[in-house]
Amino acid sequence: MSRRGSDKSSALLALTSSALLLPAYQGARADAPPEFMEAGMRYSKYEEDNTQGKKTFGGSSQRYDIDAAQFHLLAPVADNWAFALDVQWEDMSGASPWFVGESASGEPKVIMSGASIEDTRTEVSVTTRYYYDRGNAGVNYVRSDEDDYDSNALALDGAFNSSDGLTTYGGALSFSADDIEPTQGSVPTNTLKNDKDISSAWIGVSRIISTRSLLRFGLSFTYRDGFLTDPYKLNDNRPDERKEWTISTGYRHFFDAPNAALHADYRYFDDDWGVGSHTLDLAWYQNLGDLTQLIPYARYYSQGQADFFGNLVDLSDRYYSQDYRLSSFGAITVGLRLRQELGNWVVNLSGERYRTDESWGVYNGDESPALVDYWRYSFGLDYIFR
Amino acid sequence: MNVLRCLVCLLLAFGLCACETVEPWERGALAKREMQWAPDAMEISLQAQINASKEASSGGMGAAGGGCGCN
Repeated sequence: MSRRGSDKSSALLALTSSALLLPAYQGARADAPPEFMEAGMRYSKYEEDNTQGKKTFGGSSQRYDIDAAQFHLLAPVADNWAFALDVQWEDMSGASPWFVGESASGEPKVIMSGASIEDTRTEVSVTTRYYYDRGNAGVNYVRSDEDDYDSNALALDGAFNSSDGLTTYGGALSFSADDIEPTQGSVPTNTLKNDKDISSAWIGVSRIISTRSLLRFGLSFTYRDGFLTDPYKLNDNRPDERKEWTISTGYRHFFDAPNAALHADYRYFDDDWGVGSHTLDLAWYQNLGDLTQLIPYARYYSQGQADFFGNLVDLSDRYYSQDYRLSSFGAITVGLRLRQELGNWVVNLSGERYRTDESWGVYNGDESPALVDYWRYSFGLDYIFR
Repeated sequence: MNVLRCLVCLLLAFGLCACETVEPWERGALAKREMQWAPDAMEISLQAQINASKEASSGGMGAAGGGCGCN
C-alpha cells in the first residue's frame, strides 16, 4: 500500500509544478509543502583512533568518543506552510591535542590534554517555510548550548524558479552570535570569557540539463569576527577576523539500467588566513528492488596550511598556532549506507572510516603529529504519517 | 586569483550544459528521492558538522549558521 502510494506520489510530482523546482539546497519539491508529516531519529557513535605512540609524548593516548542523537520533525501547516523542528544532543569525552613539543631527536611530538574533557551539547533548530507558486522562503533559528560555548543563529533563505521550471535561483543569509566561556580545569585557557560573530551569505543556481541529470553551482562568503583562537590550546593566537569564500558545484545523474543515481559534488575553499582546500564527494545510490537502497560513498579532502601554522612556533610572532586542523593534510572518507523501507517506516544504517595523512594532500607543508582518524556508525528510523 | 579562475571555469561549464529543454512530463526520474541534492538531511548535517570541526574549511551548502565549541 505504501509503495503504491509512493509511486503515485512520484508520478504526480513529475507531472505537476512540484517537480519543476530544484533549489540548490533542497530537492525536487520546493514549491509545495510536504504532503505528510515526517519524523526521524538517528543515533551515531563517533570514535577517534588513539594517537600514535611514536608521535606522542608519554605514548599512545585516547582521543574523543562522541555519542550523538538527532531528532527531526517536518510537518505541513495549512496550505502553503511547513514547520520543521530539529534537535541534536551530543555527549563527548576524551582528550584533545594540547600542544606540540620537540623530542630529543628533533621530531615534533604532541602532548595531549589528558583524558579529562567531558562536555555535552544540545542544539535546537526551528524552521518555518512558506511555499508560493514558483519557490519558497524560510526562516530558521538555531540555539546551541554547551558547557563552555553558546550560539544563537538566525538564517533566511529563499528559492525562485524560472518560468520554464528548468532553472532555480537560491540565496541565504545567516547571522550568529557566539559566547565562549572555557571550563577551568587542569589545562590553562587562553581566555576566561569572550565572544565572536559569524555572518554568511550564499547564492546558488541549479539547472535541469537533461531528463536524467541536474547541475548546480554556488558561491558563499563568510565573515568571522571576534575571538577565533582555540581557548584550550597552549600555543595558539589567531587573528580576530577571518574571511572565507567557497565555490561549489554538484551533479546528479540517474541511470535507468542499474536503477541508480550518481552524486558528485566539489567545493573549493579559500580564506585570508592562507588556508585553501579542495573537497570532492562521490556517492552511488543503488536501488535494490523497490524498498532497499545501498549507498557506497567516498570523499577526498585536501587543505593547505594557515600562514601562521607551525609544529614548532615562535611565540614572539604576532600570530601562531600548532593546531593540526590548520596544517596541510589530505583526508579520505569511505562509507556505506543502507536504507530499507518497511511500510511507513524507514530504517537507516551507516558506517564510515575517515583517515588523514600529510602525503595525501596536494599542498605542501609540515606534517602535524596530531592528525586525526575516526570511525563513525549510525542507526536511524524515519516514519511518514500517511 | 585561484577563486576567479575556478569561478570562470564553473560558469562556462554551467552555461554549456544549460542548453536542453526538458518538458515537465519528462521529469519523472528527476523527481526521485535519490536525485535530490540532499536526500538525508540529518546525515548530511552531522557529516558537515564533523568535517567542519576536524578541518580548517567549511560551508558551501548554504549560509554558515552558528558555530560550536567542537574540537
